[in-house]
Amino acid sequence: MHGQASLPRVLMSNRGGRTRHRLASGAWVALLLAILAFLVIYPVLMLLLGALTDTNPVVDGFGVFRLSVRNFITVLTNPNVGEALANTLIACGGGTVVAVVIGLAFSWIVVRTNTPCKRFIAAASILPLFAPPLVAGVAWVILGSPKTGLINTLFKWMNLDWRIDVYSLSGLVFVFGIYYAPYVYMFTASALRNMDPSLEEAAEVSGASAFATLFSVTFPLIMPAIISGMLLSFVVMLGIYGIPAVLGTPTNINVLTTYIFKLTNWSPPLYNTAAAVAIILMAVTGLLVYVQQIVLTGRSYTTVAGKAFRPRALDLGRWRWVAFGLAIVYLFVVVVLPTLALIVAAFRKFMFIRDAASLVDLRQYSLVHFHSIFDNPLTLDSIYNAVEVGVITAVVGGALAFAIGYTIHRTHLIGRRAIDLLSTLPVAIPGLVIGVAYLWAWIGLPGGLYGTIWILALAFIARFMPDTVKALSTTFLQIHRELEEAAWICGKGVLGTLRTIMLPLARPGVFAAMTLLFVLAIRELGSSLFLYTSNTMVMSVLLLDYYEGGNIGKTAAFSLVQTVLIGGLIGIANWLSAETSQGGVGRTG
Amino acid sequence: MERKIALVAGLVGTLIVLPALAQNFGSPALIAAAKKEGKLVYYTANFAEVEQEVIKAFNKRFPEIKVEMVRAPGGQLITRVKTEAAAGKLAADVVDHSDRALMVGLLDLFQDYAPPNGADYRPDAMISPKLWPRATLVWSIAYNTELIKNPPKSWMDLTKPEYGNKQIGQVFAASGGTTWTRIMFERQVLGEDYWKKQAATDPVLYPSGAPTSDALVRGEISIAPLLYNIIYTKKKDGAPIQIFFPPEGAPVNPYASGVPKTAAHPNAAKLFLNWNLSVEGQTFMIKELGNLTSLKEVPVYPEGFDPKVVKVWLPKFEDYVKLHSAWVEEWNKTYNYRQ
Repeated sequence: MHGQASLPRVLMSNRGGRTRHRLASGAWVALLLAILAFLVIYPVLMLLLGALTDTNPVVDGFGVFRLSVRNFITVLTNPNVGEALANTLIACGGGTVVAVVIGLAFSWIVVRTNTPCKRFIAAASILPLFAPPLVAGVAWVILGSPKTGLINTLFKWMNLDWRIDVYSLSGLVFVFGIYYAPYVYMFTASALRNMDPSLEEAAEVSGASAFATLFSVTFPLIMPAIISGMLLSFVVMLGIYGIPAVLGTPTNINVLTTYIFKLTNWSPPLYNTAAAVAIILMAVTGLLVYVQQIVLTGRSYTTVAGKAFRPRALDLGRWRWVAFGLAIVYLFVVVVLPTLALIVAAFRKFMFIRDAASLVDLRQYSLVHFHSIFDNPLTLDSIYNAVEVGVITAVVGGALAFAIGYTIHRTHLIGRRAIDLLSTLPVAIPGLVIGVAYLWAWIGLPGGLYGTIWILALAFIARFMPDTVKALSTTFLQIHRELEEAAWICGKGVLGTLRTIMLPLARPGVFAAMTLLFVLAIRELGSSLFLYTSNTMVMSVLLLDYYEGGNIGKTAAFSLVQTVLIGGLIGIANWLSAETSQGGVGRTG
Repeated sequence: MERKIALVAGLVGTLIVLPALAQNFGSPALIAAAKKEGKLVYYTANFAEVEQEVIKAFNKRFPEIKVEMVRAPGGQLITRVKTEAAAGKLAADVVDHSDRALMVGLLDLFQDYAPPNGADYRPDAMISPKLWPRATLVWSIAYNTELIKNPPKSWMDLTKPEYGNKQIGQVFAASGGTTWTRIMFERQVLGEDYWKKQAATDPVLYPSGAPTSDALVRGEISIAPLLYNIIYTKKKDGAPIQIFFPPEGAPVNPYASGVPKTAAHPNAAKLFLNWNLSVEGQTFMIKELGNLTSLKEVPVYPEGFDPKVVKVWLPKFEDYVKLHSAWVEEWNKTYNYRQ
């Protein structure tokens, strides 16, 4: 089917076969492009249209284009947009640095050292991924608000003169960094695991120290994974609304997403201006993706070849306990503290905490918030809907991403560059705005897509295609072509090769990508806001309702429910993947 | 004999009709048709939690009718309604919105509808005979009793330097219809320079009343002007909060609610609104949810609201529409709020 163009000529026996192959591969590329056009180009065009006009294309009709660059000019000349952009770059840039340091450190510790309890550290390293951004933000407000934060209350109690303040840019950098480190971890851990250790051995035999080997051989070898992880975490941070919304609002620190949300939420809403701001966001992201392409072009990063090897564990000696200690500290800061904060908020009747003594006053605690969320029939409905959407998104989106990733990385078909570009595009579009574009684009389609769970799933598949394709591309880049060629020479067809070589080798990566997609879909808020209807309410929307309803107790209680649920589902996925293959999700990410 | 039968039939008929008439929820035909429809889709800009209580109370009276709710913040709700309507896919049987100015633009979407007690409503709370003030929200001032020992007593007190340095929380002007009503009141009633004096206390600005009320309970801020219904339920649950209605006036914001022409369950929709607008529905919302009402004869006032002391303030609708953008912009400048 679609590997033909790359087949050695000898295998193409006759002219008729070649024409047939050409036709089939042309049809395949056309099919992928058609799917991408529907999922990506069409909504993005709607968004561009929105940014360039002052009309709602559905309401005012497609004929009424008052095409103007007025929105753009208004946006570009608005100093507040400039400030929001600057804040965005500082927060995401700083956050990415923190994320790379943490993610890379832990992937190395887990994969390449003899640190104790590695499985446990591996699991801890990806835990923050389960926390929806809004939940993370709320938890850190409870912990780190300058006036009422639990940490500050404890400092006061201990008579320490320290105070932390998360309502600041440094607070944003910190929270972004610790929550998006798993992206870097996921990419680099699987790259390190699949790396041939003989190169490191060669360095050491030549007299390089372990440290020098790390920086001169190991890290450069997994550079594509580091850059992909870095880029993805940066870009994901660009599009996050929950964390800056909660941390930035009290001190009026705007980033582009919170600014866009404000525009859509004002009365009257300014969608067209929001769309114009979104285009700036897209431009920033587009530039980054371009830079990544330039950096990675022309290098070979194949490290998985047909030889058998085992990743070797470096003996850290006494330092392994330091590594273990670091993992414990990270776990404490990223998982234990916020979870404790959520537990306190979920079980406490009111979050007014006078002093440390009042924090442990058990009379203040009850199950009232849990009773009240489960008293609401929407709660169970939203859980059911979210899981359904999550599963559809993971299966369909995972399959599509595999097809796209394979076409981009394993074939030389004409059109694969376009496919690559189109599948990367959605990363640049913030969910809040693309939500409106999806609504505009798809509501008018015949067949009653609107109002079903499928419109949500389609939006998530489109929105998270870049994440999934990128997560899979590391897998594809690392599997050496010689393995496929061996299968071809043995007489296997393309589909046969896919089944016997690619799928088994890529299975951990595919499973990890699907799990990632599932989690992202369950957490996704921005694009759900416009697409859900009365009987397709999902968890993230209900959580925002609780948060916007101003009840931190219910918000925390529902956050806990959601976190436990996602954790449980991932546990099941992990177990299933461990049953079917060697590597589990917890290990590969 | 025939007369006798007619008499009995008439009596039976009256007996059936009477209870319904007494409670004023609509004709038996409407109620029967509503029950047959069995459900309605309810779009609201109010908080989901609050509306869940309303639905529960309605279902005590009419358990046969399932209410499916879609809740979205004001601006997003309007966009959704407009877009769905344009695509011919408006799913709502009832649309309920806090910003009457935004609803004016959608009047064509709505069918003629009036509740049985329509004549009992204040005309100045309505912008069209099709749209009704299902909910009427009222502003109050609340403070955290653990933090404030010398509480403010009026709107003017919120300009005092002793409450300065980020003790007061304010919802910013562009957030929607209810806040717009309050800032109009401040300027038209409390004085042209009220904003300036108030802004001088350096308040913390929030995007809506809900996070403000939460911040107040947690002690992030100590005092805040808040819609009574947002903070009242927290106080009722025992939060360390005190609320009062300042003597200079209580700005109120009536909602605008109606039944779209395209409603798939028009009878259930009308019955739902009839119940909401009935004395029973309004009393429920006042007592349990902390609303006020736009009924001419107020059945009951919220706790602490003395109509002899506190006057209800309704904005002139003309000003409400006309002054909006210029005044909001000025407010943003005064409060140094960056848009």
